[in-house]
Amino acid sequence: MNKHIVRAVSAVAIAATVAAGSVGCSSKDETPGNTKPYIALISKGFKHQFWQSVKAGAEQAAKDFDVTVTFEGAQEEGNVEQQIQLLQTVLDKKPSAVGFAAIDSQAAGPLMQQAKNDKIPVIAFDSGVDSDVPVCTASTDNLAAAAEAAKHMAELIGHEGKIAMIVHDQTSVTGVQRRDGFKAYMEKNEPKIKIVDIQYQGDPLKATDVAKAIIAANPDLKGLYGSNEGAAIGVVHAVQELGITGKLKIVGFDSGKDQIDAIKSGLMSGAITQNPYGIGYETVKAAVAITKGQSVAKNIDTGFFWYDKTNIDDPKISKLLYQ
Amino acid sequence: MTTISLKNRIPAKISGSLQQLFAFGSLIVILVFFSFASPYFFTTSNLVGILMAATVTGILALGTTFVIIAGGIDLSIGTGMILCGVMTGVFQTYWGWPVWAGVLGAVLFGGLIGFVNGFNISVLGIPPFIATLGMMLVASGLSLVISGTKPIYFKEHPEFQLLMNYSVIPGMRFPLGVLIFLILIVVAAVILAKTILGRYAYSIGSNEAATELSGVNVAKWKIIIYSMAGLFVGIAGVLAASRLSSAQPVGGMGLELEAIAAVVIGGTSLQGGKGSIVGTMIGALIVAVLTNGLRVTAVPQEWQSVVVGCVILVAVYMDILRRKRA
Amino acid sequence: MVSDSLIGAALLEVRGASKSYPGVQALDAMHLDLRHGEVHAVVGENGAGKSTLMKLLSGIDRPDSGEFFLDGQPYTPTNPRHALELGISIIHQELNLMPDLTVAQNIFIGREPRAAGIFLSDRELNRRTRELLERLGLPLKPDDLVGDLTVARQQMVEIAKALSYNARVLIMDEPTAALNETEVQTLFGLIRRFVTPDTGVIYISHRMHELSQISDRVTILRDGRYIDTLDTASSTIAQVISLMVGRAINADQRPRAATGSGDPVLSVKGLNTKALVREVSFEVRKGEILGFAGLMGAGRTEVARALVGADRKNGGTVAVHGREVSISNPADAAKAGIGYLSEDRKRYGILLGRSVRDNVVLASLPKFANSLGFMQDNNVGRAARDFVSKLRIRTPSAGQLVQNLSGGNQQKTVVAKWLIRDCDILIFDEPTRGIDVGAKDEIYALLDELAAEGKAIIMISSDLPEILRMSHRIAVMCQGRLTAILDNADATQENIMHHATRFSAEGTVTT
Repeated sequence: MNKHIVRAVSAVAIAATVAAGSVGCSSKDETPGNTKPYIALISKGFKHQFWQSVKAGAEQAAKDFDVTVTFEGAQEEGNVEQQIQLLQTVLDKKPSAVGFAAIDSQAAGPLMQQAKNDKIPVIAFDSGVDSDVPVCTASTDNLAAAAEAAKHMAELIGHEGKIAMIVHDQTSVTGVQRRDGFKAYMEKNEPKIKIVDIQYQGDPLKATDVAKAIIAANPDLKGLYGSNEGAAIGVVHAVQELGITGKLKIVGFDSGKDQIDAIKSGLMSGAITQNPYGIGYETVKAAVAITKGQSVAKNIDTGFFWYDKTNIDDPKISKLLYQ
Repeated sequence: MTTISLKNRIPAKISGSLQQLFAFGSLIVILVFFSFASPYFFTTSNLVGILMAATVTGILALGTTFVIIAGGIDLSIGTGMILCGVMTGVFQTYWGWPVWAGVLGAVLFGGLIGFVNGFNISVLGIPPFIATLGMMLVASGLSLVISGTKPIYFKEHPEFQLLMNYSVIPGMRFPLGVLIFLILIVVAAVILAKTILGRYAYSIGSNEAATELSGVNVAKWKIIIYSMAGLFVGIAGVLAASRLSSAQPVGGMGLELEAIAAVVIGGTSLQGGKGSIVGTMIGALIVAVLTNGLRVTAVPQEWQSVVVGCVILVAVYMDILRRKRA
Repeated sequence: MVSDSLIGAALLEVRGASKSYPGVQALDAMHLDLRHGEVHAVVGENGAGKSTLMKLLSGIDRPDSGEFFLDGQPYTPTNPRHALELGISIIHQELNLMPDLTVAQNIFIGREPRAAGIFLSDRELNRRTRELLERLGLPLKPDDLVGDLTVARQQMVEIAKALSYNARVLIMDEPTAALNETEVQTLFGLIRRFVTPDTGVIYISHRMHELSQISDRVTILRDGRYIDTLDTASSTIAQVISLMVGRAINADQRPRAATGSGDPVLSVKGLNTKALVREVSFEVRKGEILGFAGLMGAGRTEVARALVGADRKNGGTVAVHGREVSISNPADAAKAGIGYLSEDRKRYGILLGRSVRDNVVLASLPKFANSLGFMQDNNVGRAARDFVSKLRIRTPSAGQLVQNLSGGNQQKTVVAKWLIRDCDILIFDEPTRGIDVGAKDEIYALLDELAAEGKAIIMISSDLPEILRMSHRIAVMCQGRLTAILDNADATQENIMHHATRFSAEGTVTT
């Protein structure tokens, strides 16, 4: 047989197999046990540990309240278009309620309107949705959490000196709030502390190089703040590579094995953890309540905690930390 | 053209090294500029930091130089590197291999990625851009699947992080990873300039059809060239994982473009047939020095990519001017 | 041809034009006067300055000194578009057409008729093109894709495009290089129809016998300088050639007797390809030059490409020195000692951007590398220098880029590549295409030498005098079949053409 035909046939065969597989999967999702209420959660991403915890919380709530929950997020965290596509698909399935963590609230505007017209209640979670459609928001108060981080930083460096910030990105609500909450606290309460640089980088490898550049430019730097796991890991590795452990106070955000190890070894002073598990759980819980016609609070604070060497093994904290 | 026949005695070598001289001159200018702009720029520890920042993209750029000289392109190196990092985690942590075997396995795995690219391009006839774009997505997905979307830590082998971080010059914090990078530069330069593989890379890039008709097995050599680029990807992946003492399954997208940018700034033509390792390294250093210098002088980050983008445009334009004059 | 009574003031005049590029005086005090209603040939070896003159006339480059006049008015074109607007059209040797567009789209590129000022109007475009093609008597359809046309027809498109600008001066660079005799005659018909008392043609060519057919006068250039202008009617080809090269050349030679032992080195039996070649069988003996004659598209190049594995064979056997070899790619052919020198040197023969040295060793790199793959550059350099001097390749050094060499020296570089590879069998496809007259003789001498050394040579050529001069035997092809193998002594231009057109349905061919 002609070589070209063999190639073409095998290509078609592979494509058909893949297509059949994906149809198989999605049809499974689309017919979630006919009688149970179906709650769809659309997050900003799914790769990150944080989202996996949110998902775990949501799944626990699904078990507890006997509902079907699906959890999907953008392939690349921050890809607005992908997320909108996911939301559109989910709305077309007519779920009982939708949980949504917007990457870009503006872009989601028309779909929020569609949900409203179709009478599908929307529960915002994590960074929330800037729209009047969502019935309620289950999230960490990031401004307050960042202020808490700033308070600890100020105490650690003795209320005076130079510090710098590495923020995971400059466009998302969490990025902006964790920057502004930290900055505002310092400006209001700590006149002798000077923020010398704010850089944006959430990739651990690149954040390492960013942190090293900041430290090189400011030899008298006393503290560095990393606004999420990636940024904080970057700071930790920079300090390790430069061999200046102890000269700098490091305050981080979220968790992950690297941060936990760094805190246990004293390299990092402490960090703020959100309650991702709680975010997932509370979102589903609120959705269930709404589908039953019960009323819920407009803002559900899912909480945050400061953790350091002293309380890291406390079961109340350790269950919130992911490795 | 016939008019420039025999009397044109400007040897090609001189005009080629002119471009490199220009790029090298630019590098020096940038170094001097930042040294004056910030007292903290020209310090041993910051300069070593620049080299460390250049290591991973630089090694990717080394392999890519061969591919581009041979008239191809490889978009899979960024996510391929991430996948190789994950594989060394799998070998060492999940399968309990010793460090040397885990490292070797991941480097060879990189070679395998390159081999598949080469096979798809020269045997199946898929255009390089598409073949490696597909591989870029496959590698990105496989990293997540294999790692279960979680970073893999080297619990059993804490010494693995020394591969990148071990200080080869006591008291100076000159890391082993940077030394490996410098050695690889020499190895790549020798392969390109002094071996049959390098010679074929140039030939295929300048005229693939003529090379084939000269009795050269072009398909075989293209597979070898992509496989070799893959080995560099494997090394880069291992060093990146070693630096963070963990295999991070997320990311890598965009690194391929940084590597290609370094190659292009160094005067290698995307049309193939022309280029050098020295040029690529100058290109990689220009990008690393610029990025670091702009950070040290606290230029807002938004402007940093604007500046790097402009440098690429200027570099390529200078190359075009040079060709016109020659 | 146009009578002298129509001659008035020059239509286009070049006075003392000079131009130098870095390291080269390309044109030195050049003169040319094109009269009204005249076809004016410009001849010269490669490097004589023809291309530079064209670049200046079309506004691609500016002269360092000197002036141009169009109808007595100063003419200073700033770019090719400007030159076109002033009435000067140039047809380059390498066609500048877009293969994926239609004939009409190619002709009107950049000035497409619009409907309502915005949308392209294909109907109007095709109507205008049809008018133009009818006026010129060209057998083309406006909506044919240019990529589907033969080279000759593509050239017609190029000419139609040039004439559609209402050009007054048409400059043609080697327009017949890729045409067969019938097509050449069609082209000459077009040129004669174009020439009126108000227009003129500058005709650049290497083909001496064409000059007497088409041109009124001929200007000879050498080394960037003006040599002389002659009336074509009162001068001989030998006279023109001797002015070009500065010595006499004998155009009617026949080959020396075959020197070889007569053992067949290459035997081909029943060769077929999917598209064209049918049951081609022949032998080439040691020390023999076997010429392959035929019209364009007769399948000569296809035989060569199938033979070396560049294209797929559909049956047939190849034996070298009596032993059957299996060739499925050019690497196999090279291993069997068969080297192919393509008709399209730039695309398939050489690496333009690499040095002479890199080019000559390309087919035999493993021979110059040690077991670890390291190149032994001293050996490479020595071999390159040896062959540069043996083949008299004119280059300042072996490190010179091939793109800076003339066509003849590029061809010699390709020959050197196969000699270094130790090939016993060399297939030359149009070895003198695009090579000027003086250098042709050198290539001929080289072919004779190679045959005398015992190589078996296949020479494909569309130039009948060349075939007769060089080949010991002549294989004639027509529509994919071998129609005759003639001994040189029995061959004439007439009987070769007879065999070359045996199956032709398209009428007879004049020579």
